Amino acid sequence: MRYHDRVASLSMLAIAVSCATFLLASSVLAQPGSPAPAQAAPQKLSASAIQVERTDPPPDLVIPEDFRISTYENVLLQLEKTKKFQTVYRSGDQRAAGVKDLIILKLVPQAYTAGSQKQREVTTIKGATSITIKVQFTDRDGKVLLEKDIQGKVRFYGENLNATYDFAKKVAKVVNESF
Amino acid sequence: MNNRSRQYRIAGIVSLALLFCVSAATVFSGQTGTTAATDSTSVPDVKCVIGLDEFKPNTTGIITVQGDSVSFAKDKKKGEIKVTQISDIFLGNESRQDISGLGGTAVKAAIPYGGGRILSLFSHKVEVMTVEFKDANGGFHGAIFVLPEGHATALRNLLVAKGAKVTQHAEPPPPTENKQ
Repeated sequence: MRYHDRVASLSMLAIAVSCATFLLASSVLAQPGSPAPAQAAPQKLSASAIQVERTDPPPDLVIPEDFRISTYENVLLQLEKTKKFQTVYRSGDQRAAGVKDLIILKLVPQAYTAGSQKQREVTTIKGATSITIKVQFTDRDGKVLLEKDIQGKVRFYGENLNATYDFAKKVAKVVNESF
Repeated sequence: MNNRSRQYRIAGIVSLALLFCVSAATVFSGQTGTTAATDSTSVPDVKCVIGLDEFKPNTTGIITVQGDSVSFAKDKKKGEIKVTQISDIFLGNESRQDISGLGGTAVKAAIPYGGGRILSLFSHKVEVMTVEFKDANGGFHGAIFVLPEGHATALRNLLVAKGAKVTQHAEPPPPTENKQ
C-alpha cells in the first residue's frame, strides 16, 4: 500500500513537472521579445531645392487647362508647406540652373475623369472627378529617383478643382515620406 | 409773374433731368460693373481660385484691366500681371452651386431625409479664365479666375488688344451639367 502511494505521488509529481515545463517552454517561445531583423528602411532622398515641371498630356487625353494649372499651383503650395526644400522653383525658372543638388519633379498626366458637382451632391454615387498623374522625381541628369502614379479625386462634396488639391496633398505626403 | 413761373418750370425740368442722369448712371454702373472707357474694364465678384502669391486660394475681389496690366484687388491688397508677361489665356464655362462652402455644406447635411440634395439642384453658370504668365526669372505661373457669366470673353479680348499672347487651342468638352 505504501509502495503504491509512493509510485502514485511520484507519477503525479512527474506529470506536474512536465506540464509546468511545457507551459514555461511554450510561453517563452511565444514571446515576441526576440526582435526580428529590422527591415531595411528605404534610403531617404535629400536635396536643397526642387523644380516642378509640367508635361503635356498625351494627344488623346484632353484635360482642361484650369485643371492643369490648379494641379501645378497646388503642388507648388504644398511642396513649400512641407519645408523639405530651401527653395521650390517653378518651371522655367532660370535660377534653378545654378543649383547642384536640384531635384526635378515632373507631372505627367495619365488620366482624367470629368465629374459633376451637382451629380455628386444629388446622387452621392455618381459624378466623381478624378485626375491621375505620374509623379517622377529625377536628378539633373534625368535619372529617375522615385516614380509613382497618384490620383486626386473629389467624390462627394466640393468643386471639381478640389481633386487637384487632393492630388497635391498626396504628393506632399510622398515627399514627406521620401525626403 | 409769368417769367418767374417759367424760370421755376425750367429749373424743375433741369433738376429732373439731372436726377434722371445721375440715377441712370448709378443703375447702369451697378448692372455691368464695367467702366465706360473702352481701354479699361473692371469686374466685381471675381474669385481668384489660385495663382496670385498675394492672395490665399479662393479669394473674392475685383479684377481690373487698366493700362498695361490686369490686376486683382481685395481691400488694400493687390496682385498684378503685366500684359507683356502673359503667354496664354484660356476660357471655360462651368456651373457653381448657389449654396456652397463650408456653411452651405453643413446646411445641406443638416436637412433630414436627404432634403439637402434639393438645394444642390440650384446652381448658376460662371466663366473660368485661366491666365498663364512668366515672372522676371522665367518661372511659369498660372492664375485662375472665376467670373460672373458674360465677362470673360470681353476681358480676354481687351487683354489681347493690349498685346497679350494667346495661342489657339482645342476646347475641352463642355461640362455635363447644362440644366440649371
